[in-house]
Amino acid sequence: MLLFRSEQHVDRWCRQWNRPRGGVLSLDQVWSLATEWYGDRLNPAWSPKTAAEAQSAFARIGLVADFWKLSP
Amino acid sequence: MPRKVDAVPKQPDLDARLRLYIYRFFNQHERAPSVATMAEGMSHPLRSVRAALERLSQTHAFVLQENGELWRAAPFSAVPTAFPVKIGRRSYYGNCIWDALGIPVMLKQDARVEASCGCCNFAMPLRVKDGQLLPREGLGHFAVPAAQWYQDIVFT
Repeated sequence: MLLFRSEQHVDRWCRQWNRPRGGVLSLDQVWSLATEWYGDRLNPAWSPKTAAEAQSAFARIGLVADFWKLSP
Repeated sequence: MPRKVDAVPKQPDLDARLRLYIYRFFNQHERAPSVATMAEGMSHPLRSVRAALERLSQTHAFVLQENGELWRAAPFSAVPTAFPVKIGRRSYYGNCIWDALGIPVMLKQDARVEASCGCCNFAMPLRVKDGQLLPREGLGHFAVPAAQWYQDIVFT
């Protein structure tokens, strides 16, 4: 995931790389992803999120569009 | 380039200890341990450590280079990236803006992320202080849908 100044800069980057626009998040949402994913990473009992857990985490952050679906 | 790995039998205790060894090494030395360093530091045969790394790679949190050395131990990158993170006098690299912010979250430290706009390289430094992100101006953009993230981890 890259950081951008604005929506216009996201669109310019997509044109430069000939890519469709992907998923855009506010910086608050990026921060929430970081805290969700890495807050417990040094816990000796850590294990990767299951797909269902990851999907729930996305939903808590407000990432609910099809782009964020982990399975069809 | 990161490489794919085949399924290998689990050894939960060794894998968990190796995982923490790698994170602590990154934290202390600001770089990834080599596989030989891991074997020596954990007093395990090189073969066992390589097998444990293969298993850890199946989590996607760890990715190996073609030579078998670490490329990524999320949120740390073992190679320089456009997402340098400063914590006190120590410097690290995140794999992306998500991971760059994940480093101070994981280490529970204040940090400065020397980020820039992915389009024009305009400097967008971010600070993490007392568990909060300051400032919060800017946007994140994933180029690849979530279901496909690990098919092309570099471009994601």
